[in-house]
Amino acid sequence: MTNQERKWYTGMLTQEDWWAVWLGLGFFLLGLLSIGGIDVLGWITYPKKWVFSLPEGAVAKKIVTVNHAFYPLGAKYSQTAKDFYKGLGPIGGILMTYLVFTVATSIGAYFMRWDLKKYITGWTIIFFLTYLTWFVGHHAFFSASVVDLKKSHFPEMFTLSLGGGASFILALIVGLVIGNFFKPFAQYLSTAAKPEWFIKTAIVFLGVKVGYLPIKAAATSQKLGHAVAGLTFDLFVAGAAATIVAYMIFWPGVYLISRKIFKLPRATAAVLGSGISICGVSAAVATGGAVRAKPVVSIMVSALVVVWAVIELVILPGFFTHVWPGTGDPLVAGSAMGMSVKTDGADAAAGELLDEFMRAKISAETDGKVVWPEGIITTSAVMTKVWIDMFIGLWAFVLAMIWVYKIDKRPGERVPFSEVWHRFPKFVIGYFVAWFVYLAIFFGPGHAGAADGMAVLKAAKVGAINVEKGMRKLFFMLTFMSLGIITDFAKLKEAQFGKMVWVYFVALFCFIIPVAVLIAYLFHHGMMIPTLGAAG
Amino acid sequence: MDFSIHHDGKDWVASCGDISVAAPDLDSLDRKVESELGKRGLLSEQGKTMVRMCFDTRTIPEWIRQYAQHYFNRVVVFGG
Repeated sequence: MTNQERKWYTGMLTQEDWWAVWLGLGFFLLGLLSIGGIDVLGWITYPKKWVFSLPEGAVAKKIVTVNHAFYPLGAKYSQTAKDFYKGLGPIGGILMTYLVFTVATSIGAYFMRWDLKKYITGWTIIFFLTYLTWFVGHHAFFSASVVDLKKSHFPEMFTLSLGGGASFILALIVGLVIGNFFKPFAQYLSTAAKPEWFIKTAIVFLGVKVGYLPIKAAATSQKLGHAVAGLTFDLFVAGAAATIVAYMIFWPGVYLISRKIFKLPRATAAVLGSGISICGVSAAVATGGAVRAKPVVSIMVSALVVVWAVIELVILPGFFTHVWPGTGDPLVAGSAMGMSVKTDGADAAAGELLDEFMRAKISAETDGKVVWPEGIITTSAVMTKVWIDMFIGLWAFVLAMIWVYKIDKRPGERVPFSEVWHRFPKFVIGYFVAWFVYLAIFFGPGHAGAADGMAVLKAAKVGAINVEKGMRKLFFMLTFMSLGIITDFAKLKEAQFGKMVWVYFVALFCFIIPVAVLIAYLFHHGMMIPTLGAAG
Repeated sequence: MDFSIHHDGKDWVASCGDISVAAPDLDSLDRKVESELGKRGLLSEQGKTMVRMCFDTRTIPEWIRQYAQHYFNRVVVFGG
């Protein structure tokens, strides 16, 4: 039996890309039920910053005691089932979260014909390791900022002030330790360690977040709701413009570096050019196919991309926050991240980390007077990446025509236009549907945040928050953990990669990242994130 | 005609029913497919014969398929 993309609907039940859409939109639809007063997602369990015991005089506000380190979101936000979700408690909530996502993802695994027993065992280990690192990462020493300490009336004490970023870093470290020091175990977990599936699902959840942002801002003021809705559209347009410019500069630049400096063969240079400069593995595979390279070329480049993307994920969020562009230009940083970091998983994860770092930094710098809504910086990183992903089909089509008609000149061969659709990233459909539906609720029955629409918006918030906050963060955590598990740094030493490692290094740090920051500056400089004030 | 195509590490291999031909590059593969179809009387005598080759994605390792599923589909016209 073969596995081919023959029809436009091929893979709807057998590919991770489509399953990210089904999972993402499934929970998005369940979230929408809250508008009718039905809250079925309040079990998703979320962490709080915690300490073992409160110091004298402190109050459990931003920082709580260890027994309250997790809570089902419905216990706080539900309008109709608050008591039920409170009754679940932290352990009950985590178990229910495990149960629901085990069933949901196992259905996907079944249709994708994975080894179900191996998947469920691996998923269970990854899930509970993820919650454990989420718990540890939210200890006040790692996560609490000066503002958190002040709001909870804590005495002055040293903390790392990493916000939710501490948990992400910890999850990545735990994953990397497994992936590099316990390789047989990592191999066993690999059936369930699917960073791209998890992040694509998280990006559909992010669509809910982008649509929900104006609703959240409207709770502060109607004007703020409008400003945030406008900003998300600005990011959408600027992301598209920046992406087109990046394609025109990045690909030819890396291709020339590969050919002229490192003397790589034409097809290898093309695949490497796409892998380094566009969207990593998916671009390497698409370009390999387009230029009719032997699949081994794409496979080798993909192995490199995955490792380098994690190196970028470790370095860039801290660099962009503390060196440049910093909190003066947070959306330049976010967009540059989207153009620099390859693979959706590493990019969205880096964007999320940047979001945490930037918000913690601006809050500390202004003593809590400036509070940026969570997720806008992540959105700027993902928006650029989504455009890059969407263009890869067209780009590969153009390359295929150049190779087939001009370079190889193979008699009788034609390039079918259906290739563009086969290479289209399907998860972005889920992202845009989720975004536009919540936006329609905001501008439609929500009356753009006017007083007579607030009841609808408050009801919509209940379902949206479970998805955009609880599920999105959980899937980001799963992504960080899985990325670590599948990343084996020893691959960089493997002899067959030879020059390609150095092409990647030179192209990334001397060309891609500086140019990405420059392009992001041109298109995003001056775009500022509205502040929620000291609302917290 | 619909063929599946994959790479076995050394050769490109095109298959359709009981037809299976292999060659180290796509040019040679196309010629072999054309010749095989000719031998079996499957080439159109009046005009063109269109062959679609859809890539078997099992050639791509499973860990990469979460990033990208599709390698390529190609159409070759014989007698054009």
